[in-house]
Amino acid sequence: MTLPRAATPLHDRPAASHWTQLDPMLLIVTVLLVGYGLVMTYSTTAETRTFTGDPMQFVLRGALWAAVGFLVMAGVALFDYAWLGTFAPVLYAITLGLLFVVLQIGTSSLGAQRSVNIAGLSFQFSEVAKILMIVVLAKYFADHRDRIGSPLVIGFGLVLLAPAVFLVYRQPDLGTSLVFIAIFFGIAFLAGARVWQLTALAAIAGAALPLVWSLLKDYQRGRLGAFLDPYADPQGAGWNIIQSLIAVGSGGPTGKGLTAGTQSPLGYLPIAESDFVFAGLAEDLGFAGAVILFALYIVLLVAALRVAFRARDPFGLLIGGGVATMLLFQILVNVGMAISLMPVTGIPLPFISHGGSSLVSICFALGVLQSVSMRREPDGP
Amino acid sequence: MRQDPRAFVRPRRFIAFGIAMLVVFTALTARLYDLEIVHGDYYRDLAEQNRILRLPVTAERGGIVDRNGYVLARNVPGFAVSVIPVDLPRPREQELALRLASLLNFPSDAVADQIRTQRVRNPYEPVRISTAPVPREIAIGISERAELFPGVRVDPESIRLYADGTLYAPLIGYTGPITQDEFEKLKDAGYLADDDIGRTGIESVYEQYLRGTYGWREIERDAAQREIKTLALQQPGVGDTVVLTIDDRLQKLLDAELRLGVEEDRFTQAVGVAMNPQNGDILAMVSIPGYDNNMFARGITSKEIAALNADDRHPLVNKAIGDIYPAGSTFKMVTGLSALSEGTATRDTQVNVTAMSFSVSGTPFFDWRAHGPLTFVTGFAHSSDIYFYTLAAGTPFAPNVRGVGPEAIAKYGKMLGFGAPTGIDLPGEAAGIMPSPEWKLENKNEPWTIGNTYQEAIGQGFVAVTPMQLLNAYASVANGGTLWQPHLLKQVIDSQGTVVAKPAPQMIRKLDMTQENLRLLRESARRVVTIGHAYMPNAKLPIAGKTGTAEFGAATGKDGAGRNKLGFHNWFVSFLPQADNTDPTAQIAMVIFTYDSSKSLCENCFNPAVGMTQRILEAYVLGGNK
Repeated sequence: MTLPRAATPLHDRPAASHWTQLDPMLLIVTVLLVGYGLVMTYSTTAETRTFTGDPMQFVLRGALWAAVGFLVMAGVALFDYAWLGTFAPVLYAITLGLLFVVLQIGTSSLGAQRSVNIAGLSFQFSEVAKILMIVVLAKYFADHRDRIGSPLVIGFGLVLLAPAVFLVYRQPDLGTSLVFIAIFFGIAFLAGARVWQLTALAAIAGAALPLVWSLLKDYQRGRLGAFLDPYADPQGAGWNIIQSLIAVGSGGPTGKGLTAGTQSPLGYLPIAESDFVFAGLAEDLGFAGAVILFALYIVLLVAALRVAFRARDPFGLLIGGGVATMLLFQILVNVGMAISLMPVTGIPLPFISHGGSSLVSICFALGVLQSVSMRREPDGP
Repeated sequence: MRQDPRAFVRPRRFIAFGIAMLVVFTALTARLYDLEIVHGDYYRDLAEQNRILRLPVTAERGGIVDRNGYVLARNVPGFAVSVIPVDLPRPREQELALRLASLLNFPSDAVADQIRTQRVRNPYEPVRISTAPVPREIAIGISERAELFPGVRVDPESIRLYADGTLYAPLIGYTGPITQDEFEKLKDAGYLADDDIGRTGIESVYEQYLRGTYGWREIERDAAQREIKTLALQQPGVGDTVVLTIDDRLQKLLDAELRLGVEEDRFTQAVGVAMNPQNGDILAMVSIPGYDNNMFARGITSKEIAALNADDRHPLVNKAIGDIYPAGSTFKMVTGLSALSEGTATRDTQVNVTAMSFSVSGTPFFDWRAHGPLTFVTGFAHSSDIYFYTLAAGTPFAPNVRGVGPEAIAKYGKMLGFGAPTGIDLPGEAAGIMPSPEWKLENKNEPWTIGNTYQEAIGQGFVAVTPMQLLNAYASVANGGTLWQPHLLKQVIDSQGTVVAKPAPQMIRKLDMTQENLRLLRESARRVVTIGHAYMPNAKLPIAGKTGTAEFGAATGKDGAGRNKLGFHNWFVSFLPQADNTDPTAQIAMVIFTYDSSKSLCENCFNPAVGMTQRILEAYVLGGNK
């Protein structure tokens, strides 16, 4: 019996030996999903009927971001994720700093996520902040898992979370602030927090809903109202929901074919390459295309959870759990929104929504997961 | 005991997480299955409705021609001017509104308002500025100087053009914008909210043929309603051509005479109708004053419509069918045929008119002269009132002649078509009045008097007829006893020249009268022209007919327009037998009615309708039927 390597996290083995423990399933499904995303970008934007200019420009840009994403992933995987834990307080400061900067100088369009323009490119810092927050919360709960049963531990976790949620909410980006909350619950749950405490917390949040309602912006209330009854204002607040349902439903079993959908190129489906990308996918590729996407997601999530399950330490486990939670929640909310199971919030669909920040952030997160996988206890002989 | 180094892994939490995952994906998949598999067709339809718009393509309206193919109504190209707000820079809005307004003769505020409203509603959709077709010169002017007219679009559009508008307006009518109520009723038949529809006259009656079959164009549009491309096109079918029974040559001869009479102030209003007694074909129909239906085709102004409404001669009414007048002496035919048919008189019934008047219960009844002894033919030829008083109700001049009575006169009057619309294919026909004792009790709540019978006998009192009814009654005598339904439709032909519809002449009824009596009437009518009231000098044709005169209005004084208040209706209803002057083969019958309240009224002048009839028929029949 040897001493667990976890006891000496900063003592890494030579890098070359880690690659054998790279999670191939996670890597393959990542590549497939990135590819699927590019196909969908092509299908929803390569439209010569209404747009002028290069019809492939969005696809090329997406491919470029994908390349950047893979580089980031590989780079991150090289380093022992324990370093992230070491610098967790710094990362936390960066998280809040980024969100604060967005709030100060970010530009928003149509209530979507705010972005910061640097050198002609727009960056959505809250996408990066989500990943950093996963690391911070994973580190916190990993360090305090011995006293996880104490309400104080949960309470201080909330204190860590609250400023980020508040800053994102002020953007205003209700969807992303909900993602932060979901991440908190997911990590706390896998860290072993008492179920009754989490339930109580959720109950308190539920009880506070009227308060939240009063804090919502008018357009947010309109979206919630439209979710409950889109036909109350079919040309206004209900428009997106109705057009999205039409797009999805009209896809049928196998879809209309790539670029053959009509809802998005003719402008009926708004933000068709990002927020409502799933509606475009369901229209072009139908039920079959959606089920294939779901299957890829399930493989991705299972792979992420397996990495977490086999992690050498609680920190790695919780990072894996946090990333899985974030992905699952975003899938649920984005797809649910397109099929009117969820109110409209501008959260990107992982891999499929066109957008560099989201893709690179996810690649970063998956790079961390690969790092966790590579540094687990070696498999049996 | 040593702690498990991997105690931090909680498998049950992972299982719970996995279950949550399964729940999420199951829910999403189930919902997708419902949307795409179960309701896929429904949403596919919705998507198509979103995307595809079927726009109507209007058909060119069919023409209207006379019996020889002379074109009375056709379409000429005009233009519609619209503005697409999105192509009009906002700062230039005011300037453009001013320029368009001055060009189209609109207030510039209204134009600017229209553009602004549309900009808010849907800036990609053109808003139509011109309310009536714009002439070619203006349209070209706008197209050539596009830089002065940003966002302005000029589209071709048809204008209805009526040749000889005023001459034919009373029977052809005009088209106009569909009303909301009509649209509600007709939208299933393919009418559009901004459609034109036949408003009156032939345009209205034969709308179904003239309208044509609208086509459609299926376009793909984006969410902003911009047209992306045409997906399918169904060409419209041109409307059918309506061929009228009218002969333009006769119509113009009739019109020229009547118009001249009005211009010379011999009378102020006039009606002329000619028909073929053998089948009810209307050959000409003139009502003066009329109106120019081209005013309606190009969009009538409120000033013009006000002027038409202010004219107390009612130019918008087709008086040939739409107004009723006392028939005067022309009605003696009815009295005579009643007495002959009931056997209370024969051609030899003699009345010795020894005086110009007689009294009943203190009321005097006059004749225009003391004629002396009269038989049926001479009584009719000289239009003796006393002769027909005698046939109707008996007089002291012929104690042995029994009057036929008002019931019989009403019976035969109705048989001849009085008191009911003829059913001609025009809107707005009046029924007229064929009085009877029963009618008077019902409508006036008074018993019938013998004086009523006397008045009725000579076409005065309660008797009221349309010129069309009177003509048709004489036509039935002229053709040997068949009352045809007068009609204007000869046939309908499509754009290839194929006959689509050709209605057979409709008989209203056979007269229950003997050929001998009808022949006697024709003979008497011929004598009216040869020895009697309507003497025609140098007559070249064997015209037969009957005059009629009725006074109306106050006895003395002038009205505000300087016309005599006392006026006369003058009638001459005629027919033209072919061979022996009494045969039932007349090919033409005509009624001329004048309404004489002119400033230069001449009470004792010859009935102007007689001379006009002679000139018109001689010119028409002898001038060659080209």
